[in-house]
Formats: sequence, structure tokens, C-alpha cells
Amino acid sequence: MKSLKNIFRLIGLYFKVNLASAMEYRGSFLLQAFGMALSNGSFVFFWWIAFQQIDGTIGGYDFRDVMFIWAVTSSAYGVSNILFANMNAITRLIVSGELDTFLVQPKDTLINLLCARTTLSAWGDLAYGFILMIFTHGSDAGAWGMFLIAIVIGGLLMTAVCVSAHTLTFYFGDASLVGGMAMEFMINFCIYPEGIYRGFVRVIMLSVIPTSFIVHIPLKLARNFHPGWMAALVAVSALYCCLAYRFFYKGLRRYESGNLLITRL
Amino acid sequence: MKAVGKYITVLRISLQNAFVYRSNVLGGFVFYIMFMFVFFNLWRAIYKSGEVAGYSLVQMVWYLCMTELIMFGCRTGVFFQMNEDVKSGSIAYQLNRPYHYVLYQFFNALGGMIFNLLLYGLMAIVIGMIMVGPIPGFSFSTLPYSLISIVLGMCINFFFLMALGLTAFRLEDNTAFYLIYQKLVFMLGMFIPVEFLPGWLQTITRYLPFSYMTWAPARLIVAFSWELFWAVVPVQLLWLTVSFVLTMGMYRYGVAGIQAHGG
Repeated sequence: MKSLKNIFRLIGLYFKVNLASAMEYRGSFLLQAFGMALSNGSFVFFWWIAFQQIDGTIGGYDFRDVMFIWAVTSSAYGVSNILFANMNAITRLIVSGELDTFLVQPKDTLINLLCARTTLSAWGDLAYGFILMIFTHGSDAGAWGMFLIAIVIGGLLMTAVCVSAHTLTFYFGDASLVGGMAMEFMINFCIYPEGIYRGFVRVIMLSVIPTSFIVHIPLKLARNFHPGWMAALVAVSALYCCLAYRFFYKGLRRYESGNLLITRL
Repeated sequence: MKAVGKYITVLRISLQNAFVYRSNVLGGFVFYIMFMFVFFNLWRAIYKSGEVAGYSLVQMVWYLCMTELIMFGCRTGVFFQMNEDVKSGSIAYQLNRPYHYVLYQFFNALGGMIFNLLLYGLMAIVIGMIMVGPIPGFSFSTLPYSLISIVLGMCINFFFLMALGLTAFRLEDNTAFYLIYQKLVFMLGMFIPVEFLPGWLQTITRYLPFSYMTWAPARLIVAFSWELFWAVVPVQLLWLTVSFVLTMGMYRYGVAGIQAHGG
């Protein structure tokens, strides 16, 4: 319990430091966040055109449903890249030997490593999800409740998938391509209706790349809440994160230091 | 002739480089297949209610194969290269070399674009055939004309990206412009054919360059007609001229402000 408290404390401290550092370059920070939000916004246009072409739903989702999964995906991605942006750099840190720096520090190596960097444009992703929810779901309390829960669960699951993919570097060498692919697959399976996929892909979405738990099950719960499904969602997500955490530390045992001397500024 | 010869040499070397480092496209292939898989599933779900705005599902899938081909073919990183050259100051080292910087960058990227076009072109054909089969009414005799349009579309995109990259001479952070440009290309032709847009937007789109990068060549591939060819290719040539002149202007304006202090 104490260790969990320490982890949250470390995440909080890194968040403060990273935010203060971002605020030193306010212009760049705001421009990047605004650019990202605008960039995401263009996809509303795509879906508007797509739904104009037909009368009804696409893959079982209507326009509001698609906007919900977009909002959750965008904000969850924002959360993971604001708090744990270094997840995308794990392979580079392992291959270059920069991991040594984190190993000698008296903190949880994985958490310390993940939180050490933030992405400025991710604030735009986070804000975009909220803006989309305001415009498409207004004061729908149920949808807002599930949205807030889903961005926390989604942010953690996205990080867990990315960590797992990059951890393969310990076993097979440079896994940056696998890491990039995992993130791309995850986002692409998140932002389109679940019903457009069949068979094997649906199995993947419920297991290796758990996008169903990031957006599609939260959408079902927002439409029609069920405590059993909610409990299953939280339990599976927690299990996935724990497995990713354990997988990283198992892989870490194979790491060999190159005695690289670097300075963290 | 000598002036042209050096650029041909640059092109030859960049083409050789592209073939030597051919495994670099492996990651691109995976992403190309993934995007096509997602879009195929999406449009198949949309087409459950019948034909949409004059495109059959087969035409739509081939249309996307072609627009993605053009975008993957254009992956030269020219925008980021310009940013890097300008911000790091390395552009200063290239000013006194016996070539024009803009033309050098173009021919240096052209090798990669030709290589991408060949490899992703094969990939597009394989994916299109597996997903939906051949394009109805397609004739190989018109393919060279469609290819002209594809190459023009790629060149227009290249020069606009280069012009955007060169804004780094005057702007500290120009990434937002890149993101906005990219989304305009996506939405005005790449993901959605122009025919799907509302009437008022179609009118505006025809006066902008974005649809001539992806929509025009892809439409020629899936439904070739001479009327369309003569309607779009002259406009593509016009936009190519505009983008080239704009790039040269941006370059001259930027270079005029360079201050070199030795070192």
C-alpha cells in the first residue's frame, strides 16, 4: 500500500516539474496543443460526411457514439502522453544504454522512466476529448461519468500496451517498429466502430490490443450501465496493467549495462 | 546540359540509396496494409446501404489504395528536413555548393519517391485485388495518363511541403501549419472523394490545390475519362507552377535573412 502511495507521489511530482517546464515556453506549448486539437477536429468532418451518405448507423454506431469513442481515445491518449510520454522511448533508452540512469535511482524504475518526459501536444488531445463531449453529449451525466472513468482506464491501458511492446527489446533487440505498430493499431481500432471488424480482429481487440476495454465497453456502459460489466472492465484493465508491469521487470533482468555515462538535466 | 546532368546524378544516387536501404520501407508496408484493412472494413460497413455518391465499393477501395499510394509515395520527410536545415543552420553550408538548394532537395527526394511509387504501387495492386478484385472497366491503355496525374500530384505536394518547411526561416515553431495542411489534404480528397462533399464545399475545393494531389489521380485510375483528364491535368500543371514559384520565393526570402558568423 505504501509502495502504491509512493508511485502516485512520484507521478504527481514529475507532473508538476514537467508542467512547470512546459510553461517556460508558453507560446510553443499553446501552439502545439492548439494544433493537435485542430488536427483531431478535422475527423469530425470526416464522420459528418460519412453519416451524410447513409441513413442509419455504421457498424452499429451512430454519430454520437463515434464522437464518444473519439473523445475517449483522444483524452486517454492525452493522459498517457502527458504523464508517461517516455513510453515511446523505452526501446531507445534500452538500446543506447541510457536505462542505467534510472536503475541507480532509488525509485521504481518503470514509473521513474515513464514519467521522466511529457508531450506538450498531448494537452491538445486531452482538451479535444472534453470539447467533443461538451458538443455531442452536453449534460448527459451517465456519458460524462463513463468518459471520465474511461480516460483513466484507457490512458493506463495504452501505456501498458506500449510498455509491453517495447519490453520485447530485452528479448529480441530493437522493437521500436513493434512499439510504433502497437500504438497505431491501438488508435485505429479505438476510433472506428467495433462492428466493422469481424472474427479474429475482435479477439485481438479483447486480448493483445485491448481496445474494447478502452472505448467500446465504456460506450456500452454509457448507453446502458451494468455493475457486472463495470467490475469486469476494471478487473481486466488492472490485470493487464499488472501483467505489463511484471513483464517489464522480467525483461529487465536480461538488460546488460554498457557503462554509459550521461547527465540528466 | 551540364546544369541538368548534376541533378540527374543526384537523382541516380538517391535512387541507389533507396534501393540499398530498401528494408526501410518494411514498416511503411505494415502501416499501409493496416490503413487499407481499417478503411476496407469501414467502407464495407458504410456500403451495406448501397452505392454512395457515384462510387461502387470496388471503386472506393481502389480509390483509397491510390490516395494512400500517393501519400506513402510522398513520404520524403521534406518538411522536417527543411526545418532541421534551417534551425540547425546547416543550410548555410549548402549555399556555396554548385547546385541550387531547392532543386537539389527535389532531385534528392525524387529517387525516394520513384522507389516508393514502385514498391507501394505493387502493394496497392496486390491489396486491391485481394480485397475487391479488379476495377470494373479498367483499361491498361489509359494507365500512363493516370500515372502522369499521380506524378504531378506527388510533385505538387512535395513543393507545398517544402514551402511550408521553409517558413522555419521566420517562424520559431511551424508544426501547427504542417498539421493543418496535412488534414486539409486528408479531408479534401485523400479519405473522402470530392463528390462526397456538400455542393458549396465542392466548389471551394476545386479552387484549392489539395484535391489535385490525391482526388484527381485516384479518380482517373478508378473511372478514367478524357474529359476528366483534360479538366484536371492542366490545373495540376498550374498548381505545380504555383507551388514551385512559391517555394523559390520562400527560399529567396529566407536566404536573404541569413547571417553567417564563420565557425
